[in-house]
Amino acid sequence: MSPSRTIALQDMSSGALVPAQLIEQVDSAYAHRADDSWLSFIAAQTACAPPEGLSVSGLELQHAHWRWEQKVQSVGSLLSYPTLGIECAGEVQGLMLLRTDGEFGRLAEQLHHPIVYVVFLAAAPWNLPAVVAEPRFRGVGTALLRAAVEISGELGFKGRVGLHSLPQSEAFYHRYGMRCLGIDEDKERLNYFEMDVDTAAAFIR
Amino acid sequence: MTTKRTMTLNLTDAEMSVLEQLSIQKDITKTAVLRQALRLYQLIDTRLRGGERLFFEDEIAKEKKELVVL
Repeated sequence: MSPSRTIALQDMSSGALVPAQLIEQVDSAYAHRADDSWLSFIAAQTACAPPEGLSVSGLELQHAHWRWEQKVQSVGSLLSYPTLGIECAGEVQGLMLLRTDGEFGRLAEQLHHPIVYVVFLAAAPWNLPAVVAEPRFRGVGTALLRAAVEISGELGFKGRVGLHSLPQSEAFYHRYGMRCLGIDEDKERLNYFEMDVDTAAAFIR
Repeated sequence: MTTKRTMTLNLTDAEMSVLEQLSIQKDITKTAVLRQALRLYQLIDTRLRGGERLFFEDEIAKEKKELVVL
């Protein structure tokens, strides 16, 4: 049984905070369950969306092609690649894959200092305002990003976190004070974001 | 987050000196250096056992040297 701890998500139907489990090392069966339910949901949304509404059906979701089972299988039990999941209401609400080796800061004040790199982070499609008019839970992405910052702290990296963001998610990372260092030509021309030590401390306070 | 267990580690003066230098260079604690080393060792060992090989390349000398680990 993977270690887990209780966190809170906001149930958007009632506005109340509800308990959820942050699972600290997910296995491929768990990731397969996420793939199954997330892809089924996107397919259903796409099927029932009017032609003019396809832009919010999941077809435009930039990570709709991600297959978490493959990602989790590829890293196995490597300590350098923590995989985290959020479980609530009997469903996988979000998943994240981190890399804790070989990634270093790019911000001037933390240049060459080790960071935790967020390889992949996604909330279930039913939690995304880009996909559904009324998301089920709020706070999934925030809880996962917070976990990445906490792991960075536990590893001695002082909360430093870096990632390349899909365009659809850039506003989210800006909101938490991550600084954009511009387009990375070596990473599919995605913008690179990094959280500094002070921002990280304020974020998890 | 994850529960941790404590162990005693016996190092020589030379080993401790290297550990202290790495701790300063990398701006992480000595414990963090050792945990990082464990993760890296597992990563390299897993890939070597999977049939991959690890090389250091000297671009100036145009030399490649294979790194062999225990």
